Amino acid sequence: MDREQYYGYLFVLPALMFMLILIGYPIIYNIIISMQKVDVMTIRDANRQFVGFGNYIDLFKDGLVIYVIKNTLFFTVSSIVIQFVIGFALALFFNIKFRLAERLRGLIVISWMVPVTVTALLFKFMLSPSNGIINDILIFFNIIEKPIGWFIQEKTAMWGVIIANAWIGIPFNMILLNTGLSTIPYELYESASIDGANVFKRFIYITIPMLRPAILSVLILGFIYTFKVFDLIYVMTSGGPVNATELLSTYSYRLSFTIYNFSQGAAVANILFAFLFVVSLGYLALINKDEVM
Amino acid sequence: MKVLRLSGRRRSIFLNVTAIIISCIFLFPLYWLIISSLKTNAEIFQSPQTLFPSQIQFTAYYDQLFGPNSIIGPFLNSLIIATSSMIVSMLLGVPAAYGLARFKIKGGKLFILTFLITQMLPATLVLTPLFLIYKGLGFLNTFLAPIFSDSTIAIPFIVLILRPYFLSLPKDLEDSAKIDGCNTFTAFVRIMLPLSYPGLITAISFAFLFAWNDLIYAMTFMNIAEMRPLTAGIYHFMDMYGTEWNKIMAYGMFLVAPVIIIFVFLQKYIVSGLISGSVKG
Repeated sequence: MDREQYYGYLFVLPALMFMLILIGYPIIYNIIISMQKVDVMTIRDANRQFVGFGNYIDLFKDGLVIYVIKNTLFFTVSSIVIQFVIGFALALFFNIKFRLAERLRGLIVISWMVPVTVTALLFKFMLSPSNGIINDILIFFNIIEKPIGWFIQEKTAMWGVIIANAWIGIPFNMILLNTGLSTIPYELYESASIDGANVFKRFIYITIPMLRPAILSVLILGFIYTFKVFDLIYVMTSGGPVNATELLSTYSYRLSFTIYNFSQGAAVANILFAFLFVVSLGYLALINKDEVM
Repeated sequence: MKVLRLSGRRRSIFLNVTAIIISCIFLFPLYWLIISSLKTNAEIFQSPQTLFPSQIQFTAYYDQLFGPNSIIGPFLNSLIIATSSMIVSMLLGVPAAYGLARFKIKGGKLFILTFLITQMLPATLVLTPLFLIYKGLGFLNTFLAPIFSDSTIAIPFIVLILRPYFLSLPKDLEDSAKIDGCNTFTAFVRIMLPLSYPGLITAISFAFLFAWNDLIYAMTFMNIAEMRPLTAGIYHFMDMYGTEWNKIMAYGMFLVAPVIIIFVFLQKYIVSGLISGSVKG
């Protein structure tokens, strides 16, 4: 081996080994567990019973997992739509040049930095039926008549966690789209206005097409990050009421660490992984096309 | 869009004021966190609600610090876990980023791809196997379990964010350092690292924050109350406090404070980390 290779591996291998042991091996181990019978009784056994796809079949027979998949998709798509629309609007606004633009745009990023545990508690507080400020504001503006018990009813519970999640995701969308916008040459807009294109036309024919790569990566990354959300749900609702906000991540956790059905927990985690894997491939194809690597 | 046709000064005032209003609305939840932690619980349940405490009270903070179940323990646990994880992930991640940028090694592209993919994985996926592995190694209920697990989040991020920095440094620098008597390692430590300090600041702050914010690993791998960091602690306190929201919000303030401090001083680096960490993957 030449010196170049030798030094290269010397620098890279420690981190790579670390990741392989703590992430690579567990991924494979997880697949194995999901095909065995592993619970509190059998966890110490060396030769656990192999059940093939039995755990997966049991999950789908039970049916709750289908409901949970639907929840996860609903949560993900709704969060993304809200945070994308608001994030895009903010990105366009803060792309205008004025004195405080950069400073305030940076300040908004803080909601993305706040520990999710705190965000979860804060929104739980703000959405509480007896003294939540959000109910008070909605009543003040005559949008509702009496306080909503956000986390008591199944429908509103889901919207409660979506609102909190969108608040975290908006800066992420805003910053990435804003960066995309700043790369569009100003001359394009100038010559288009000379040709008589109005604001709306310029947006459709210049901004959107030029921003396409940024839009795509924001949406795909948004999907990946939102689909696996755990902390927020666990702290706000723990999946309740009656599974209304149960997502694949929290369901997997509950199976493994509340009722100690490790094999079904692992199977649900693999279902979650399968969704992410497909979308990640899309993302990789996208960035590969855009150079980067 | 009549607005944009407003001229000079009025346009500028209009835009700045609008931006301030938008920011205030968006950041209102944080204002509410601070304000509620300074109210008495009686005032919190008052109707209509007060937008500012009628009397600023620090009792919630006092109770958290000096009452039973003092927050000092969990705070120190969080600090130990986050700092150690930051050190572990920097020690492993920074050289890896350099190795992938500077040397043409076989499988280099594949390694980059591996780091990229691990960054997207959900913690839930590795949670059950890690639990069983740590159980076998005797790591459960030690700080090692969350420290190692949190590092698996930070390392890929560090590698992906620092590699472009190292790529942009001219190779001649290393050659001339070698003429001056440096070897590959001393050139890396004495010449290349100081030159890439903006990237290092981004990497180090995120490595700390990933671990500081972690709930799932700490909560799953540590059962002993005395060992819990702030995130896992607050989850357990919730049942105890019930609706003592001022105390819960004060607790939240302790968890948010270091984040705000890091953010205020390093905002530039944080935003650039957010951009390059995700756009370039």
